Amino acid sequence: MAQAVTTLTQNVLREGLILPRTPDPAVMVIFGASGDLTARKLMPALYNLALNRYLPSGFSVIGVADTALSEADFKANMAEAVRKFSRTQPVDHAVWQSVAEGIAYVRMPFDDQDGYGRLAAELERMDRERGTNGNRVFYFATAPQFFPVIVERLGASGIARAGEGWKRVVVEKPFGHDLKSAQALNQAIHAVFSEKQVYRIDHYLGKETVQNVLVFRFANGIFEPIWNRRYVDHIQITVAEDIGIGRRGKYYETAGALRDIFQNHLLQLLSIAAMEAPANFDADTVRDEKVKVLKSIHPIDVANDVIHGQYGPGWVGGQQVPGYRQEQNVSPTSTTETYVAVRLRIDNWRWADTPIYLRTGKRLPSRASEIAIQFKNAPHLPFAKTAVQDLNPNVLVMRIQPHEGASLKIAAKIPGPVMRLRTVNMDFFYGSSFLIESPDAYERLVLDCLLGDPTLFAREDEVERAWGLADTIETGWATQPPPNFPNYAAGTWGPEAADALMERDGRRWRRP
Amino acid sequence: MSGEHGELSTRTFVDVHAIQDELEQVRWGLHDDGEFSEAAEHAAAEARASVLNLITVVGSERQLTQVSHVLDALSITNPSRTLILLAQHDRSTGKLEAEVSAQTRTETGHRVTTERVLLHAHGEVATHLASMVTSLLIPDLPVVLWWPGRPGFDNPLFDDLCELGDRLVVDTDEGFETPDLRRLLEVARREHASASIGDFNWARLMPWRHLAAQFFDMPGMLVHLGRIHGVAVYHGRDGSTTQARLLGGWIQGRMASVGVDVPVELRPDDGFEHGVCRFLIYSRGEDGQARFSISYQRGGRLSTEIRVDDQDFVDRTVRMGRRSAEELLATELTLPGHDVLFEEALAASLR
Repeated sequence: MAQAVTTLTQNVLREGLILPRTPDPAVMVIFGASGDLTARKLMPALYNLALNRYLPSGFSVIGVADTALSEADFKANMAEAVRKFSRTQPVDHAVWQSVAEGIAYVRMPFDDQDGYGRLAAELERMDRERGTNGNRVFYFATAPQFFPVIVERLGASGIARAGEGWKRVVVEKPFGHDLKSAQALNQAIHAVFSEKQVYRIDHYLGKETVQNVLVFRFANGIFEPIWNRRYVDHIQITVAEDIGIGRRGKYYETAGALRDIFQNHLLQLLSIAAMEAPANFDADTVRDEKVKVLKSIHPIDVANDVIHGQYGPGWVGGQQVPGYRQEQNVSPTSTTETYVAVRLRIDNWRWADTPIYLRTGKRLPSRASEIAIQFKNAPHLPFAKTAVQDLNPNVLVMRIQPHEGASLKIAAKIPGPVMRLRTVNMDFFYGSSFLIESPDAYERLVLDCLLGDPTLFAREDEVERAWGLADTIETGWATQPPPNFPNYAAGTWGPEAADALMERDGRRWRRP
Repeated sequence: MSGEHGELSTRTFVDVHAIQDELEQVRWGLHDDGEFSEAAEHAAAEARASVLNLITVVGSERQLTQVSHVLDALSITNPSRTLILLAQHDRSTGKLEAEVSAQTRTETGHRVTTERVLLHAHGEVATHLASMVTSLLIPDLPVVLWWPGRPGFDNPLFDDLCELGDRLVVDTDEGFETPDLRRLLEVARREHASASIGDFNWARLMPWRHLAAQFFDMPGMLVHLGRIHGVAVYHGRDGSTTQARLLGGWIQGRMASVGVDVPVELRPDDGFEHGVCRFLIYSRGEDGQARFSISYQRGGRLSTEIRVDDQDFVDRTVRMGRRSAEELLATELTLPGHDVLFEEALAASLR
């Protein structure tokens, strides 16, 4: 029989399947493999990706940490982590075994040059035995102070460039603690890896809900024409948490709400709410548009446009809770802010003179993340005054959590013989339309990194712009007299000054 | 909070206008005395989400019970207007009864309401049910026709409903013979008013297709794809080959699109009861013979193996997952347009 020889340039069997392609076989080297992040997030994400056929054959993991563990111990710990934290239960033993066959552990301090020699030997073994072809993801799941030394050693040992295949670095938040340290970290990383190899993770962007905001805006033709200064009165973006700082006192004392939420999550939400429509969904096209928003922010007048606060004791959800200064590992005279509200202006044609209010806080009455677009009032109401008392303007709310969805507030006539109007909410809940369980943000982001798609990761200029804005606020605070903290009780919507900020503009904060 | 599942109204009607009125009442939770109470005002000012019209046809009370279970599970994720047609083409005098009800669920913390109309027809009227269905649909929303079991292809009701519907959902695992598959393809390829076809049996093949495609994403493996010279699909001993034919038809159709003719061999496996249990792809490349295999493992898993010129590559095991009827239907309800790959596979399996 004559042998058919057809040379194909693409995989025709892939058409109609969910993913355009499968990631290349690769080794993920996790630095900080004995830590919380690996156990709670990374390993369960990898297991679920494998379970759902997203990982390629030969995909392997090398855990790196300075904890005295045998390889068998490490695998047992990971199995336990998956059993405890996987979003799908019960854990499928055979699938986990298939994943575990590709797991190895290298014990070493992160600055130990010899250790990197052993790591290199292990990587070569993986390439030989599991066909990973020199493809690597270096995942920094350590405390941030180790990032520079790991990068430096990866470069010096030759691992960062060895052999064929691609090399990528995933860096966890916080990426620096101010503009200067972020720049220094970028510089250290770029001494070994190019920007195209760097994936700065902000798990917020991996959330289905955040991606839905982009779909909502750019897949529906009716919103874009009114998404501008002509029709929008102002925008409120809220990331409210009802919890306190838990056991994170030590970290939070050095971070505060400004670094913990404003610099990343709030500015990410602002970017996707205010950006222009990208020409396509390529990583750099989307990120270019996001950065343009940050570049267009009018210089912040800290004295007039920024309010900060710290919670005192109070009641949240029927429980009495301590004030921030009484929390574990927090100084009793701490001036760390647990609340920030900022009024921004964006200097471009779309948003000129349209104020944008951002706020975030801990121990607020409820947990809510949302983007609210408040439209201008109808220019003329032809109804009698009594008919429209208390009529509110139209508001379009995109809720990120909880209860992801959108709602539109509109005026309607109350049925009856007289003209009486009332405001009604039209709600749409994504949850009621899709049965499929949402993947964890880490699953999406790890898969994107393996596929080489950095769209949902923060780019160098984006991170530095965001730190520039946070630094402006921090510097402004330094010139002000020490704050009179605490200035809001736990379980309230923040300091009175934040309400005054809105009232000066003739507006009010929404109750999310 | 536990879910609330209330029958707001259940009555028997024969007149389409009466059904429409009752639908409005249950849709908005209004009082049936027609008076505008305070509660009714609130209800009238509330927005409702609806994503589709779903029509399902059953032939017996027993099937009605089974279908109702699936629809109950689905009502929370797909707020819709559901029309259940219990069509009994017996010789009795023509008779039509209708029941209107609304299921309100609050599991997600939000009220989701699906209204349901059961049309129970005997005799000749059962053949003309489509005339009533038309006036009961929510305008502008897609119409999905779910026909559990083997559809009555020769019943005029089938053609009438297919013309109304945007999508016809069946399960070819439920006794479909070759002539039935041919009729299905005809429906999809009609010049006018063609409905797209959804098939649970095809949906169950997704993990097999996914794994087969992944073989050739691996570095150096794409070259083998163009050199496939045969596939073997093993199926259970019960004699049902529809699923195996679809899988074989899929790879035949795909490869034919790039000019490669792939012979498919169907083989029974005595150790397995029903459905596809093994899929082998043979290729002959410059580096020797290659065999790609996917095998069903007990406990709902699939394992893969690659052997090229006597060298084994890393194998792996993944979950296949047995999906329930409500999960399969829920997925079908979100799929838009024609599934050209299914139609291609169906056509290839019939050659």
